[in-house]
Amino acid sequence: MIGDRILGILMLLLAVAYGWEASQFPEPFGGVEAVGPETFPLLLAVILGFSSIYLIVKPDPDQEWPGTKTLLDLAFVLVLLLIFAALLAPLGFVISTTLMVTVLCWRMGAKPIPAGLTGLGSAVSIYLLFNFLLELHLPAGILKLT
Amino acid sequence: METLNFLLHGFSVALMPEHLLFAAIGALLGTLIGALPGLGPANGVAILIPLAFSLGLSPAASMILLTSVYAGAMYGGRISSILLNIPGDEPAMMTTLDGYPMAMKGKAAEALAISAIASFIGSLLATIGLIILAPILARFALHFGPAEYFALFALAFATLGGVTGKNQVKTVVAAALGLMISTVGVDISTGNQRYTYNILELYEGVDFIIAIVGLFAISELMFFIERHISEGAGSATLNKLNLKMSDILHILPTSLRGSVLGFISGVLPGAGASLGSFISYSLEKKIIGSKGYFGEGDPRGIAAPEAGNNAAANGALVPMLTLGVPGSGTTAVLLAMLISLNVQPGPMLFTQNAELVWGVIAALLVGNVMLLVLNIPMVGLFVKLLSIPPKYLMPVVTLIAAVGIYSISNSALDLYFMVGFGLLGYLLRKLEVPLVPVILGMLLGPEMERSLRHALTISDGDWSILFSSGLSVGIWAVAIAGLALPYILGPILRRRMENARARMEIAEEAD
Repeated sequence: MIGDRILGILMLLLAVAYGWEASQFPEPFGGVEAVGPETFPLLLAVILGFSSIYLIVKPDPDQEWPGTKTLLDLAFVLVLLLIFAALLAPLGFVISTTLMVTVLCWRMGAKPIPAGLTGLGSAVSIYLLFNFLLELHLPAGILKLT
Repeated sequence: METLNFLLHGFSVALMPEHLLFAAIGALLGTLIGALPGLGPANGVAILIPLAFSLGLSPAASMILLTSVYAGAMYGGRISSILLNIPGDEPAMMTTLDGYPMAMKGKAAEALAISAIASFIGSLLATIGLIILAPILARFALHFGPAEYFALFALAFATLGGVTGKNQVKTVVAAALGLMISTVGVDISTGNQRYTYNILELYEGVDFIIAIVGLFAISELMFFIERHISEGAGSATLNKLNLKMSDILHILPTSLRGSVLGFISGVLPGAGASLGSFISYSLEKKIIGSKGYFGEGDPRGIAAPEAGNNAAANGALVPMLTLGVPGSGTTAVLLAMLISLNVQPGPMLFTQNAELVWGVIAALLVGNVMLLVLNIPMVGLFVKLLSIPPKYLMPVVTLIAAVGIYSISNSALDLYFMVGFGLLGYLLRKLEVPLVPVILGMLLGPEMERSLRHALTISDGDWSILFSSGLSVGIWAVAIAGLALPYILGPILRRRMENARARMEIAEEAD
């Protein structure tokens, strides 16, 4: 119930904001015609608006949401992936991938040593496969041999 | 005659040694993807698309590779249904009814072989059906104007939930979201910026490959973590195969009937593979009646749903290849592949890209033969894969998904987007909003908008042009029926499918 209502409210806000912005598009070069860049977005805003009102009025029963601990786990994994993305170029593929896969295996319940081996193994084998066999260059980072 | 020429040309491309190798690799990878826990066919194809392109494969090679993956993933799903009573995906549910009891009787290898043969017959017949039906439908599509195109795209969304869909409004919300994402970027016909907020990376719009991988792969990882699934599904033992020619002949009529029914439900908008396997199984049970022992490990109870769902999966390619509108998640991802090869979706797809489309069809045929040959001897290896614990598998899959995305443009921003789409996918799935319409919206959005603007320009802004021809009114009528029917038929069909499974579980407990 509450989940669908929140979704409905968010989608209604999105529809209004999206539709309003479409109505503010600058006049295209060459003058206004019967149809322009705003026609399709306005149509979408109307459709989304009506369906979100339906969701608010007639919500489905909620699915069970995980507890705080699991939610923190999920947030941790997303942050981990973002950190991985940020470190990929500066630290290099092998180091950042080893870290990411190791921590992820560990969070999913693996013991530290097998997790570390999976991390290192997958990082090195994918790096070698990509750089030498497939000739797609992944960032070497600080391990670059010059 | 023209058809035959195109098909022969398709074969001459697909049968080149290099391409045969790609077909074999694809079939193998696809079966792996189908067999491994947590990697559906749509997800698997999506992860491989960026890799195929960044490897610099030719369009023909990447198309053959990915089509074989698609065919292979359909095969892979049945392994866990039969051995562990866990359906790999929804269409494989009916296979558990007789497959698992047969495995319990110590005939797991025969059950797997029969399902492989029935799948092969299903795919083969459906591909032949596709070859016959596709040119006819494609010729019909030549009568389409922009108004009809627009109605057709609407029809694709309306029937996407299928007749067993639960909440149609959520399908509409999902479609609207996807279409909205597709409007981000510079408007092609006027050059106006839309929703870019002066961020340079958004000028070209949001890449649908990143969205697909994020929505499917990353949200799947989150579901594994939420449910604390870390151990493998347990190992199963396989007996030595003892299959006689008479066993194959025994299931042949069943497979043929199942294929025809499956193909029809695959072609019809909104029916899909789950319904195909369900109808095939139920009908076969009625025909054979008390002469069979359905539910207790009758081989025909495996052949019927397997032929049905594979035929339906290939039948679903008919609307996708001829009219350019996919009817399921996996065909949507295949369309994503074609769009990446610079093919425009829509009714002209078949006419304008005949060579590519016939290539896909030939690749399907080759892939299926390859699968049959690979599957029977290699099934032991696939069985071992079932016991890989997700705690090691999912991180590595996530890594491969990330490497694929990163290799598109070597930018960390793409990875941030992937994670963002992952979160969005997780939240939507928790709220039971389907993801496929979001993706289809991103794929079809540009063409849908173009046909709307084209139609309205012709009529000088008069919206009634959308309903002005008999053809477009007909398409709209089917679309409205597609949205409304699930409210009437959905509960009945869903209950029947649940009942069939519940009865079987009761019978099992009674043993």
